[in-house]
Order: sequence, then C-alpha cells, then structure tokens
Amino acid sequence: MRRLFPIVMTALTMAVTMAGPTIAADPTLSLPTYTPAYEPRTVDERGLWMEADEEERLLRDSPLRIREGKLEQYVRDVLCREVGAERCQSVRVYVMEVPEFNASMLPNGCMRVLTGLLLRARSEAELASVLGHEFGHFELRHGLTGFKAERRTKDRTAWLAILGAMSRTDITDTRISLLASFYRFTRDQEAAADQMGLRYMATSGYPARTAAEVWRQAMAEQDASEIGHGRTPRHSYVSGYFDTHPTNLNRAMALEAAAARMPGGGEARADEYRAAIAPYLPRLLAAQIKTYDVGATDFILASLAAQSGWTGELLFARAELYRARGNPRDLQMASIWFRDARAAGYAAPELDRDLGLTLLRNGQADEARKALNAYLAARPDASDATMIQTLVATEQ
Amino acid sequence: MGQFRIVRGAVAFAALLVCAPLAAQEKTGIKPGFALRPGTARIVLMRPTILVGAQSIGGVNEPNADWTRQARENIALALRQAQANVGNAMVEYDEGASGEGPLATEYAQLFGALADSVIEYQFFAGNRLPTKKRNDSFEWSIGADLGKLRSLAAADYALFITTRDDYGSAGRKVLQMVAAMGGVGLKSGDHTGYAGLVDLRTGELVWLNADRQMGGDVRTAEGASKRVSQLLEGFPGKSSAAVNGAP
Repeated sequence: MRRLFPIVMTALTMAVTMAGPTIAADPTLSLPTYTPAYEPRTVDERGLWMEADEEERLLRDSPLRIREGKLEQYVRDVLCREVGAERCQSVRVYVMEVPEFNASMLPNGCMRVLTGLLLRARSEAELASVLGHEFGHFELRHGLTGFKAERRTKDRTAWLAILGAMSRTDITDTRISLLASFYRFTRDQEAAADQMGLRYMATSGYPARTAAEVWRQAMAEQDASEIGHGRTPRHSYVSGYFDTHPTNLNRAMALEAAAARMPGGGEARADEYRAAIAPYLPRLLAAQIKTYDVGATDFILASLAAQSGWTGELLFARAELYRARGNPRDLQMASIWFRDARAAGYAAPELDRDLGLTLLRNGQADEARKALNAYLAARPDASDATMIQTLVATEQ
Repeated sequence: MGQFRIVRGAVAFAALLVCAPLAAQEKTGIKPGFALRPGTARIVLMRPTILVGAQSIGGVNEPNADWTRQARENIALALRQAQANVGNAMVEYDEGASGEGPLATEYAQLFGALADSVIEYQFFAGNRLPTKKRNDSFEWSIGADLGKLRSLAAADYALFITTRDDYGSAGRKVLQMVAAMGGVGLKSGDHTGYAGLVDLRTGELVWLNADRQMGGDVRTAEGASKRVSQLLEGFPGKSSAAVNGAP
C-alpha cells in the first residue's frame, strides 16, 4: 500500500497535466522500441512474413470482407488514435463478417477484425482494448516467438516418441509436461499482450479500466448463453492444462489490477462509436441471429438496448431471433415485436414477410395473408415473391 | 476444449509414427475424347500457388521466403520454356483494370477444393462416389461463370498450378535414420503438386494431374524444369516426344 500511494499520486498528477513525455517516463507505461517500416530479418521471421503475405491476399480478396462504406477505415482510425499515427502505419485492417467475438493479427501487420467484436463493443475504448491487445502481439513479435516455441516443443516430442519407443520407456508424462509448458507459454503471451494493450490505451487517453469491462461483459454473455442452453454457468480463475488463453476471469482481474495503477484516462467515445457502427448494425445483427444462440443474442440485444433504447432495428432482430426458435410462445412474442418494430419506425417491407410467415405458423391465416400481400405489393420482383404468392394462395 | 486438444495431440502423435501408406492411386484424369490440337487455343495461366519451406524435426512446416521466391521464379521460367511443348499460346493471368482480382482468387480457392475432390473421389479407385464409378468418365466442373470474367474474355482455357514443398531439415533426417534403426518408418519432406486445365466455355475440368510425391528440386532451375514437366505430364495435345525429352 505504501508503494502504491506515490504511484497513484503520480498518476493523478499526470492525469491533470496530460503531458505526453511525462507519461512515457512512467515505467508502467513504457512501450516497445518502434522501428518504422520494419522488415523481417531471420530465416524464420522472413518465412512467417511470406506466409502471412499470402494469407493476407486471401483476406483482402475474401467475399466475407465488409468493403462497403468506411468501416475498415474507421476501425483503423480507432487503432491509430490508440497506438499513434506512426506505429499504426504498419497495420492493415480487414473487417470480416463473422459473428464471433474475436480479432487476430498476422506477424506482418495484417489485422483481422470479426464483426462479432464490433457488435459487442459498446464504445471506441472497448474496441480499442481488443485492437491494442492484437497490436501488442504484433509489436512484441509473438508470431515469431510462438512459432519457435511450437517447433521446439514438437521437435522434442518427436525425439521423445522415437527414443521412448525404441527403449520401451513410457514417455507419456514427459510428453504431457512438454505440451503443458507450451500452452503455458501461449497463455503468458496472451497476458503480455493484454498488458501491452493496456499501455497503449492509457497513453492514448482511452480509459484503461475499460479493458477489464470487456471481459466482464464477455463472461456475462457466456452465462446468458449457458443458461439459454439449460446449463449451469461457471467461471474459473485458473486455466486448464492445455488452454491457449488465460480464463476470462483471470484476464479481467489482471487487467483491473493493472489499470488501477494507470492514469484514469479520458473519453470512452461511446456516442462516436454508436454513430459509426449504426449503418452496419442491421447486417451485424442478422449475422448474429444466424448463430441460433438465443441466450447470448438476447443478452447482446439487451446490452445494445441499454444504450440506445429498444429501437425498431433491435426489436426486429429480437423478433427474428425468436421466430427462428419457433416455439408457439416464441411465435407469439415475435409477432408482437415485429409490430412494435414497425411502430418504432422500422420500414423495410421484409418485416411484413417475416411477420406474415410467423402468423402463418401460429395459425393466424387472415392476418398472415394481409402481411404477406403487403410484402408482395412493396417487393413484386423479390426473389422469393413466387414462393410467397404460393403460400398466400394455398392459405385461402 | 482441453479434452479435444489431448485427442488432437494423440492423433498428431500417431501420425508422426506411421508413414503414410502409398496406396495405388491414379495421378492423371482427362475428359474422355478431349484433345487439344496445337495452335488452336489460348491458355491463361492463373496465379500459381507456390510455397516452399522446411520440415522441422517434429514435422512443423517452416516457411522459407528465399526458397519460395526462387521456386516462383524458376517455375515461371520453366513454364515459359515448356510452352513450346504445350503447343499452344500460354499467357499469365492479368486482371488489368477489370477489378476482378477477388473473384479470380475465389476461383483459385475453388479450384483447390475441386482438385482435392478429384484426388479423393476419382483417383482413389476404391473411394469413388457412386456417380464416379465408371472408369471412362471424368465429369468435374468449376462452374461456367469463370468464363464470364472480363479478364479472361480472350482465353479458351485456364491453367491452374499448385505446388507445396517441405524439405526435410537435417534434424528431421537424423530422426528418420534413428527411427529406421528402431524399425519405425518416418517420412522426411513433403512434396505435392497439381495442375489442372479448365474449359472456359463450359467450366468443365478437362484435365487434372495431381501427385503427392513430386520430384525435382524447385529451388534450382533444373529441378523446377523437371517439376514442371512432371506437372504437365499427360497434358492433352502435348506431343509424346516432349514428355520424353524433358529432363
């Protein structure tokens, strides 16, 4: 406690003055030496970069990539604001339409961000905490050291296996402890990247405490998902023998402890984030609904609604989610939410189609026909128009 | 998750000890009746996928940038020299200003999946799907839309080439020798490659040559030339003298 006091005082002083050089002098906030336009040097690193260059071509050309608008530009802007314009020159960002909470980094500075992360983040600071973690992997050259560790482990395991077989010695225990030490190594890398990401946040003025909140939120979503599947949620602090990452609880606590020693930071920029993501929200929601994880999706929707209120888009998404599960009670709720969404200003004619189909399955044929006809009137050339016409005709 | 990893580890371990059985397998397929007369067609060579690396003691692939660059240059040169044997004009793919690069990449990926299917379900005679049972049939297609790419407008056929080489490292070879003394067969190095020709009017795969035991060291000019002649073995319309004449 006595040691903590001067640090807190320094932090407070810095928060007030916000002078760049003073912050950089703080050992808890020191960043790795930066080399502009870094070129890989050793055989291993050059090989990994070459492989990453090939992989990046596939990402660049992937049909899953969201090329529309300036989404990738925006995500990169957040990263640049976090790590500084100079450092972020070495990074390209590719946003991929995958409804999963993740991002990853190739050794050559190619950053892949999944839309599941964009849907879940509630502010630029939350997004930045994950981007900073990935950028930490890049700056600390974790791709290279990780590759070397994997090779070392497998090379030793191979010798053990051959020599063990020849001398009829049971090598199971040694092999498992070798593997375990490799996974411990990858967990250490993740923890190091977490801490590095935190430093980028703190030096850029994004509130560092947000990083832990991201993991707390992830745990709450995990709970909702487990409960939705009829299972009992459980979180452990200690990770398993062969886990690649520390547990979410472990990460949250480590980040909280570290952030407490850092400057408080400025704005999380939640409004700016919401405005930037708004044009893509229907697409992100549609992808999330297709995961058929009712517990997790409902949690995400509620978390979005806590920020913006139940907008027409969110109500429509919720209706679609329940329609997909399709129990009689789900269909009833879905048709109510479809109508609420319309009342809240959700204008797309597809709402009529999906409401019609919901009512039809629920035995409300007359109302269903009305809704389906409204869809056909608005979208006579839709690809499914013929099918919907058939449905309307059969139900008469 | 943890359980899964243990199982996967065990499988990898088993794979390490057992040498892949070299089952009797066909290597070339051609659409019955298909022939390419010299001087009648324009063939576009799609961007070849060429990766070269080493294989560590434990079998980890170690990508090597220098070897890959050498192989790309050598194979490109050998392909240009092989043009005469092919007997038809062969040009390298150029998307130009069409903006069709992403589509071309998708087709390259699709071709990889198609070639893998042919190897799995046609070349392994015992593994044939009911629709591929007949010995005289070769019915595979990448879809007719490939021919609609503007960047391929002037071409009749697309040639796809993939090679993947992992050279056994010194450590791997030592392990292999020691393992052999103990009676365990262990593979050192991995050399696979395939080449396929697609008819751009129909999207049909008219010829495929696939080999999981390729020869020729692609890091050298002579080796690459040998590799290319292996890749183009059985190329429709190629004179038999050309096949024999290759080193």
